[in-house]
Amino acid sequence: MEMLLNSVRMVDHDQAREYALGDEKSLEQNLPIGMLNPRDFEKLNLTASLHLKISNKNGEIIVGIKKDENVPQGTILMPISIWVNQLTSFESNEVIYKNISVNVEATRDPITSFNHIINSMKSK
Amino acid sequence: MKRVPCSGCSLLCDDIIVRSDGLFIDEVIGACLKGKERFDQLTSNNRILSPLIKKNGVIEKCSWEEALEKAIEIIKNSSKPLLYGFSNTTCEAQLKGIELAKAIDGFIDSNASICQGKVLEVAKTTGITLTTVAELINKADLIVLWGANAAESIPRLLNKILFSRGKFRMTGREIRTLIIIDPVKTASFNVMGVRDLALQIQPNKDLELIRVLKEECCVAGSITSEGVAGLDKDDLKRLLLHLSETENGVIITGQGLLRPQSGANIIEELLELIQMVNTKQEKGRISLIMMGGHFNMAGFDQVALSLYGKNGGLQFKNHQLSDNDENIDSKIYNEDFDCSIIVGTDPISHLPRSLSQKLAKKPIIVVDNKNSATTYIADIVLPSAITGIEVAGTAYRLDQIPIELKTILKAPNNIPSDEEILVKIIDKINQS
Repeated sequence: MEMLLNSVRMVDHDQAREYALGDEKSLEQNLPIGMLNPRDFEKLNLTASLHLKISNKNGEIIVGIKKDENVPQGTILMPISIWVNQLTSFESNEVIYKNISVNVEATRDPITSFNHIINSMKSK
Repeated sequence: MKRVPCSGCSLLCDDIIVRSDGLFIDEVIGACLKGKERFDQLTSNNRILSPLIKKNGVIEKCSWEEALEKAIEIIKNSSKPLLYGFSNTTCEAQLKGIELAKAIDGFIDSNASICQGKVLEVAKTTGITLTTVAELINKADLIVLWGANAAESIPRLLNKILFSRGKFRMTGREIRTLIIIDPVKTASFNVMGVRDLALQIQPNKDLELIRVLKEECCVAGSITSEGVAGLDKDDLKRLLLHLSETENGVIITGQGLLRPQSGANIIEELLELIQMVNTKQEKGRISLIMMGGHFNMAGFDQVALSLYGKNGGLQFKNHQLSDNDENIDSKIYNEDFDCSIIVGTDPISHLPRSLSQKLAKKPIIVVDNKNSATTYIADIVLPSAITGIEVAGTAYRLDQIPIELKTILKAPNNIPSDEEILVKIIDKINQS
């Protein structure tokens, strides 16, 4: 399903706090998370045990899910983090952090780990 | 008990009370969640307390001599060094960063270039009406959050400017109108009252909204019955009425407004709208505040402007400023660099993968006090003292007002400040 992805600052899912005070586990619990409108949750046939595979031409990540009625339909919100920035883009000399087209589907695959992202950076 | 400014975010609250014996901080009163986290970093497990060096692909502890020697070797072998960050440090360190860039013929830019620095860039041609937090506390009657979630980005901003009682606004919240324009119903919507205006617009429609408001400013009656950007005609009229009738209004812009839409620069159009409304205004004016996150994001703009008349993207050649239109993104995207010196930021996390991956390919020297994705990738990590707690200095608040940060404690292990580290590097470069 086609959706728009927005990276946003959230007090409860704060990357700076996780790096400063958390650990790898808390980082992976609090940052790779997609917030969806409950209607989109139903459209995607999601359940609490499933994860969300979000992809576009820039990359692909698997994140946890949270229902949030405040999120408009057709939009996913993710806290600012290394995870969402696997999908954000650079176009016409501008960094784009908002309203990025992504493809979304439910998956049982595990959430993309921090080490996986770091190692993929190191190897290239 | 000591009253100190907080370096948790760009609001730099100067009313934080700290109880300390000079060795430990026993109590912090008045700080928000972000401020508390800043103080908690002092004793965090993720604090970097000794220099790190990458050997055989593994990052490990080393001596200061070895780390600095390797850093100098990387810099000396580089013909196109890139310096980036500088928004979480003092203006004194920013000054030294620019001095280092000049000494090594590098390119230096701050986090502001992908954030609110873009507004200043546009303002060079359009002009801008800025205001201060004190002015808002004392006089504001209209606060517009446009693409800005103040409640979660700058937690005490609304406490100060919306709920406070100012000299000319004794009734405080009751006389202030809050308007929020955002496609997402953010936490900031929770503070709205009955006379406020919540405008949940459709994504990517800010430009349409601004253009309709501009048209309506010129010719009344140009708003169609269907409305625009998902907002109905009545809401649009109320919005324009508030903007044109305010005595002292402010528009606070966030990251949500920085994305270009339909090839046009939204900030430029917004600044034009403010000018048009202010021209039409008879009672007062509307001003702007740029809501940056890092505590001294505005500082780098001020330091660079005062030295070179440019608020970022300084390229040095033959130890002189050279003409260029590039910013940090285009430099990295075009791979026009061969090593990077990162001060107090985490570009591996913050930049899109298409850029961070390119950054990771070249040697990285990091100056920071805590672990981040960038320190995992770095070749050298030089630990620094925590600015605003272990290091004093100047920082510019989000409204471009300088605030003097104070030292509360000494840094452990005699860890130097960002400024001292940069001075050491400059001295070693000059000696060699």
